[in-house]
Amino acid sequence: MKLKFTLMALVVSLASFSGVASGFDLGKFLDDRINQETSKDKKTQTVPAQTPATTQSAAATPPPANQKIDAEKLGFALFGDYSLEEENRIGRQISGNLLGAVPLVRDDTLQRYVNLVGNWVALQSGRKDITWRFGVLDTEDINAFAAPGGYIFVTKGLYRLLNNEAELAGVLGHEIAHVTKKHHLKVLKQSSLISALGQVAGSKAQNSDQIVQNLIGNGAEIMARGLDKNAEFEADRVGMVFAARAGYEPWGLPEVLQDMAGLPAKGERTSLLFKTHPLPADRLAMLGESVDGRLDAVQGKDLANRFYRIR
Amino acid sequence: MRRSLISTTTLLLCVSAATALAAPGTVMRDEKIYTQPNSSSAVAGNAAKGASVNILDKQGGWLRVTAGKTTGWIRILSVRAGEGGLGGTGVGDVVGAATTRSDPSRVVAVAGLRGLNDEELKQAKFNAAELIQLDTWVVTVAQAKTFAGQAGLVTVNVPALPEPKPAKAPSSWESN
Repeated sequence: MKLKFTLMALVVSLASFSGVASGFDLGKFLDDRINQETSKDKKTQTVPAQTPATTQSAAATPPPANQKIDAEKLGFALFGDYSLEEENRIGRQISGNLLGAVPLVRDDTLQRYVNLVGNWVALQSGRKDITWRFGVLDTEDINAFAAPGGYIFVTKGLYRLLNNEAELAGVLGHEIAHVTKKHHLKVLKQSSLISALGQVAGSKAQNSDQIVQNLIGNGAEIMARGLDKNAEFEADRVGMVFAARAGYEPWGLPEVLQDMAGLPAKGERTSLLFKTHPLPADRLAMLGESVDGRLDAVQGKDLANRFYRIR
Repeated sequence: MRRSLISTTTLLLCVSAATALAAPGTVMRDEKIYTQPNSSSAVAGNAAKGASVNILDKQGGWLRVTAGKTTGWIRILSVRAGEGGLGGTGVGDVVGAATTRSDPSRVVAVAGLRGLNDEELKQAKFNAAELIQLDTWVVTVAQAKTFAGQAGLVTVNVPALPEPKPAKAPSSWESN
């Protein structure tokens, strides 16, 4: 089938963008999406004449002859940057889904505390156009998540591993870096090319929430797939610097990684973390190469006394 | 919390009773061992990548270690927990074991609970009420600044860190 062939060719070219040993399995992700989209096509076959797409997408990826694409209807830029509004809507949808899987801890003091630390660290990122939201998730799983638009989540299980405010700042700094570096948006941009090919102009006009949901896949699965490992290494470097700029001792994140390196790799509570992130030892090694002696002179506070401990 | 206090105390006694119980670590890069926890102090010796060390103490960005006949301070990022292999050997909280700053038993205590998994996340349904709840905890920039000031936190000028040079494969991520 011609469409399938064209899509496969696109997958091959897209897959070559990503790291060879990528932690994020882009190939599989795209495969899944193609299967979704092609099965969708069989149901919606009406293809009315369309206005020529005005974006660069028409020039960059000529759509297959039997497949009409209305990039405007898609509602999301294929090659340009996502707008702030789009970023917020994507982040809100992912976060709402994540919270459908695991709720927030009902502890106002804890949640306010994490928001105060998080906002102070986020202030050092230079990104001032978004509202940062931080939440502790009510699960003993050990993990943390970021979604576009400034949504940051830390699990109760990870929070319990922390010993002081500097470590919390380091973990939040890592997640804040995912947002400021737009790591998830870059992944979505790759998958949105496939999504665009599957969108048929004549299909029932979808509401914008549905379009966002189509973009991010099922539920919060994007959180289970993780990112390119280079994105994780970058978030470690950038996050560590954010925490140091906020006046914390810079070693909070490395200490958490040291603790993680000592956790059982096959544990129930770490399986998702280790599936979606490089091994802690590898992350420490990469940080070590990057930091060397550069932070020797940086003094900071660990604020162990102020750290809010959960019951 | 009480139980964790007790086991922390036990751990403290063990560590102080016998330094043989110091946590094992592995050196991740060729590195100097200094006599003091700063790089302007005298060099006590060298540690080669892959060498085993015993971690005795921690101070800021430095670990006090014994490597062979040399005891001194090494950068915290040059050592990882455990011996050999790729890490994650389940030896426990290395920094904590050496300094009693954390209690590894907390991890074991709740093991066995079901963790988050792919299917759970995939099946997740949008929860608007939780998002509204999340919004109730949002703080303003002014509140965050006041909070930082209360603890004497002041911003520090720290330059961005470079990407490590000897990457095995060129990072395609940055070029996208």
